[in-house]
Amino acid sequence: MSETCAVLGLFESADALMEAVPRLRSQALGRLEAYTPYPVHGLDRALGQRRSPLGGMVFIMGLLGALTALLFQWWISAVDYPIVTGGKAPSSWQAFVPVMFEIMVLFGTFTAGLAMLLLLNRLPFFGHPVLRSKAIQGITRDRFALALEADAPGFDPQAARAALEAAGARDIELLPAPEPGPFLTASFIQRSLAGIAVSCVVAGLVMYGAVKLFPVLPPMAHMLDQPRLDPQKPSAFFRDGHGMQLPVPGTVARGHLPPPFANEEQAAVLVNPLPRTPEVLARGRFEYQVRCAVCHGVLGNGVPTLSAAYGAKPANLLAPNFRAYTDGAIYGTIVLGKNAMPSYAADLPEDARWAVVHYVRALQRAGNAKDEDLP
Amino acid sequence: MNAHRTSRLLWSATAVGFLAMAASWFVCGPARFWANWLVWFLFLFTLALGALFLVALEHMVAARWSVPLRRIPERLSSLLVPVSAVALLALGAVPVLYPGARPAAAADPVLGGKAVWLGLPFFSARVAICVALGLLAVAVMFRDSLRQDASRDPRYNVRARRFAPVCMAIFAVLVTQAAFDWIGGLEPAWYSDVMGVYLFAAAFLAGLAATALALLYLQGRGRMQAIRFDHWYNLGGFLFAMTVFWAYIAFAQYMLMWYGNLPDEVSWYQARTHGAWLGVALLLALLRFFVPFFALVPRDAKGDPRRLLWVSLVVLASHWIDLYWLVFPVLGRTPLFSWPELGFALFFLGGTLLWVRSAMERGEDMPVGDPFLKEGLEFRL
Repeated sequence: MSETCAVLGLFESADALMEAVPRLRSQALGRLEAYTPYPVHGLDRALGQRRSPLGGMVFIMGLLGALTALLFQWWISAVDYPIVTGGKAPSSWQAFVPVMFEIMVLFGTFTAGLAMLLLLNRLPFFGHPVLRSKAIQGITRDRFALALEADAPGFDPQAARAALEAAGARDIELLPAPEPGPFLTASFIQRSLAGIAVSCVVAGLVMYGAVKLFPVLPPMAHMLDQPRLDPQKPSAFFRDGHGMQLPVPGTVARGHLPPPFANEEQAAVLVNPLPRTPEVLARGRFEYQVRCAVCHGVLGNGVPTLSAAYGAKPANLLAPNFRAYTDGAIYGTIVLGKNAMPSYAADLPEDARWAVVHYVRALQRAGNAKDEDLP
Repeated sequence: MNAHRTSRLLWSATAVGFLAMAASWFVCGPARFWANWLVWFLFLFTLALGALFLVALEHMVAARWSVPLRRIPERLSSLLVPVSAVALLALGAVPVLYPGARPAAAADPVLGGKAVWLGLPFFSARVAICVALGLLAVAVMFRDSLRQDASRDPRYNVRARRFAPVCMAIFAVLVTQAAFDWIGGLEPAWYSDVMGVYLFAAAFLAGLAATALALLYLQGRGRMQAIRFDHWYNLGGFLFAMTVFWAYIAFAQYMLMWYGNLPDEVSWYQARTHGAWLGVALLLALLRFFVPFFALVPRDAKGDPRRLLWVSLVVLASHWIDLYWLVFPVLGRTPLFSWPELGFALFFLGGTLLWVRSAMERGEDMPVGDPFLKEGLEFRL
């Protein structure tokens, strides 16, 4: 016969139970616990149970979950392997929010479930002594039980029995402490769960290390075996066997429409479509200095930055005959080339050419400044 | 402060607001006048509809806890009567602010095909139908409930329960029409399926917050003392739930449009999340979600009337910011906020409070003829 772990008495009604609670609580003979067939209003307060800390736990773990998801997604998509998806920046917080929400809920629900069962209700607890009592049939039907449970070594079952009797309880039972089983114990189950959790973490770390260290092993190497076009290799996909195909005849790249003129005279009537804004002039200056200044000089005066050994004699754009050119004629020269100057149509898109025209005009005015140009 | 002084104060606030409103027409032009008018119309319209929704919801799901405080949303839903006049006057905004109703719309390739729908005649017809439906719902729900005070006739409950689904349908049509026409029509090239739900969440929130404030006002005068923690808790729980729902809907709309990045969708957000409007958007997120959410997370906070007082005020203020953020960007890139906005606030808040004060005297404070009142008073969580 093992030690008595609880003394249990039955009451006829919830009201009788509620009346007995304060009297038994004041005597402090052991931990007072109630077993009722349905929730009784105010019983938790009468038993002096403190507010459950579960809400706070869930709140903190939920915040932690959201934060974990945010940092994890930020790390994988902006730090560890930055990749542009759908034209968005790698660290776009908007894309992280749904997963943050999910992980927040996941952490919150796991905390709620596990903390409620394991921490607060002290489960798993197999063979609870009340389940083996004679009173359990009544408790699950229409009887209300109060139990004084041993919470310290000095628990006195006889004093507890007397106190319950005095409080009006009937069918008082002394419940023996349960024999611990070999497997279905709290510590065994908790250790098994901890083992599973540790194995998961270890397996994840091993997988991560394997992928990082040995990317050519299967299954990682399967990424390489996919139908695709390799450079300088035949392909069975197209009928002519080439991997790369020529563009469809007549294809025009953006900004490279064929010019609607064949010579400078036809081009002369064109009008510069760009406004003369600081941005356009800055672009014209940039393109001029990259493409034109090598020969025509930074000032446009035809003094090249090349060595004199280079035979050509570039035009002085500040000379009167070039100042007399229309915008369209300069544009035509850029597109068609002139004498030793090749066409720059392939290098400069349409708006860059017109920006250069504006800049050449600015150079011409600066090189032939009049008194009234002074501020 | 005695009742007489309060009403004199409200009357003078309304009068000052009216003068400022009239002055803003001549000083700032009709566009800003109508934008302000529209914001306040939608504010009061959604508030009254939210209150009506609470009443209909109670009848539809046979809720008991809310029977003792049902008279308050009923009285608040009577705001639809003055708001109907505001709605009809708001039609003046249509030729000014709505691109679909301007003469130039006929030449526009997108708007031209929808000219009949967006044009003033059909627009006005829709508004008139919605106003009539709204007044019908209020009449059936509120007037019959008042009659039950004297007759104690339980047949009203049966009728109200039968009419509640109809009332819900009317509510859905009204909220959708407001979202579709009054808000969506400001930028007719923009599409969002979520705008109706967004406005529904806003309306429910406004109705709940106004109910809580009116209840606190009456309790401060020694009335409605039977409303306890358990009732407050349910009201606060609803407020909390709809705060999250609003954030969910608002973010769902934002994220999908941000991801899709289609020009006709994203331009709406371009206007509202750049420059100074970004500040307004962040303020909106803070006041409409983060502050009420964290204020109402703890269990006891949902049933604490003092907490609900300031949370309700924040919710109503953020409701105004929400509508301001929806409507005002059509006027330009800088948020306009100056004396005309304050004048409109004085006029509409003063007028609303005057109406609500007198509405709070209509009938008994609780539906004494309702057979479920006792059950509602004894409600425990």
